Amino acid sequence: MDVLIQAFGQVFSPLSAVLVVVGTVFGIVCGALPGVSTSLAIILCLPFTYTMAPVSAVVLLIAVYVGGACGGSISAILIKTPGTPEAVATTFDGYPMAQKGQTGIALGLAVTASSFGTIFSALVMLVAAPLLAKVALSFQSAEYFGLGLLGLSCITSIAAKDQMKALLSVILGLMISTIGIDSINGAERFAFGQPFLLNGINYISVMIGAFAIAEVFKNIEEFRHRDNTLREAKVSIKLMKFAEMLKMWATFVKSSIIGVIVGIIPAAGGSISSLIAYGEASRSHAHDPIKFGEGNPRGIVAPEAANNAGVGGALVPTMVLGIPGSPVTAVIMAAFIIIGLRPGPLLLREQPVLLDSIFLALVFSALLLFVGGRFVTRQFGHILKLPYPLLGPLIVALGLVGAYSLQNSFYDVIIMLVFGLVGYFFDKFHYSNPALILGLILGELVENSLRKQIIIGDGSAIGFVERPVSLVILVMVALTFFWPLIGSLLGKGKVRAA
Amino acid sequence: MAAELIFNCLVGLGIVFFLVQAFSLPQSDNPGDVLGAGGFPVILGILGLIVLAVITVRVLRQKSKVKVPMFDLGSLDGRSLALNVVLLFVYIMVLDVIGFVLSTLLYLPVAGWSIGYQKPLRLALYTVAVTAVLTGVFGILFLVPLPRGVGLLRELSYIIF
Repeated sequence: MDVLIQAFGQVFSPLSAVLVVVGTVFGIVCGALPGVSTSLAIILCLPFTYTMAPVSAVVLLIAVYVGGACGGSISAILIKTPGTPEAVATTFDGYPMAQKGQTGIALGLAVTASSFGTIFSALVMLVAAPLLAKVALSFQSAEYFGLGLLGLSCITSIAAKDQMKALLSVILGLMISTIGIDSINGAERFAFGQPFLLNGINYISVMIGAFAIAEVFKNIEEFRHRDNTLREAKVSIKLMKFAEMLKMWATFVKSSIIGVIVGIIPAAGGSISSLIAYGEASRSHAHDPIKFGEGNPRGIVAPEAANNAGVGGALVPTMVLGIPGSPVTAVIMAAFIIIGLRPGPLLLREQPVLLDSIFLALVFSALLLFVGGRFVTRQFGHILKLPYPLLGPLIVALGLVGAYSLQNSFYDVIIMLVFGLVGYFFDKFHYSNPALILGLILGELVENSLRKQIIIGDGSAIGFVERPVSLVILVMVALTFFWPLIGSLLGKGKVRAA
Repeated sequence: MAAELIFNCLVGLGIVFFLVQAFSLPQSDNPGDVLGAGGFPVILGILGLIVLAVITVRVLRQKSKVKVPMFDLGSLDGRSLALNVVLLFVYIMVLDVIGFVLSTLLYLPVAGWSIGYQKPLRLALYTVAVTAVLTGVFGILFLVPLPRGVGLLRELSYIIF
């Protein structure tokens, strides 16, 4: 209880409270703007956090995350253009509702479902994180190697459009992670005597390049062809009657559970959970008078509750295992490290106030979505009019400040530019930027735990299968990696049987 | 297809270079550390080449066209993007020489204009406002050591932040 009171004092201190408000509104605005994703919004906030106290920095990033997860629905409903990938499913019924003149109700449902999903996931996180931390304390190198591989195999199979290209992206990320001093025997690797390479490639610079700069490049060639026509001059949120909303309680709860579970799975994210939740809602309520795809309110509730419930879910493996649950949490994990917090099972023991602070920040942000959501929605006409030729260069300048101020190094800015181009070409040829980043982040963990376990086994790798938990994780790795193949074989079998 | 094949060739060359370097890394003194410093990179390099070969074969079979506007300088999108990549490169190169304030004051209007913004007065006001806000927030409020430039420009920057 003392810890909760302490966390309350920190989150509701004037500075932190202002940061939550600003972060939530900023997240909604960025989420609503097509071409500015949640991860980009968090990256743009990173330079502000470098000099902040840890809790203030964390609550700001969490607030942006919550706001961004909800913000994407605004443009999805109003202009049929999801502001973020998480809001794709919201378009299916949100836009038809707007066309029927129910824009306010659609926005109200999106905001309500997002808030519900966030609070639900915050409660799950509060319970699950300490339990997982206790279990994780018994983990050794073999288990960490398996968990690292699990994260990488999930991103190559579940989250990727093209498994082979995602696999190569992961391998390239892992290769980049080996640059610098080998932490086991101190050998210099791929540094070619350059001091700036001895510490390895800073993955924040890579992220700024691959996410922010590449996104700007992509938008420069796309924004002229985008239809950003707002159908209604003035938009405002209208909340549905409580009794009507209560009829949809099962959709709220079921979608939030899906969101939390998918969020916890390494490398899966809000875009997947929202589609699964939408699919489940349309299956369960196939006989509703209003068909799905024609403006069914459940078609907004399900994806929005799920993608926001993914926020708390994704934070659990990030904090407790140091394995990010999504590209967005990869950025948050990087921010944790910059501000001196080391994700892992000991984090909650060393920083007892942190978990409660994140919980309170999530709840506070969720409640703010109503207020901030209303304000931002009213201003949405103005926000949408912000021309990309002004926004793009601003993102570049902010990215540059973020990369430069990491270590006051010119080389980090060069790395940002290089990976901006890499990210652009990855996008063109359907490689995976999140897979590259996750490979880079998890590379050290995967290599070190692999080698440490082999050293413990005196040159033998048998320890990986002798330890039961490690064996289970490795089986899961194999299943997730080969799942697309198994799925297609099963599909062919069914077709033949038919 | 040609653009993707060139991309794959460049990636392949990179992996081969990485692999050659990895083979020359020293063995570990610890007999239990059978992989040593080079073992993991060698595994990655070999795996990378195999996966790249599979992808390349598939690209050759599918013969799908991928449009890369950056290389199409005949189109407005391509010209605008290529110019912005060059602008960003120049922005970064002059950053340490003329400092953050001056380079940003030069970059923002040129980049905005090259992407297609046609209102000079608004662009000028926006540039000054954004540069002032970025310098004020990061340089003064958060004490982020922004690049100051060299010589006289460096001295002048101390007046601002």
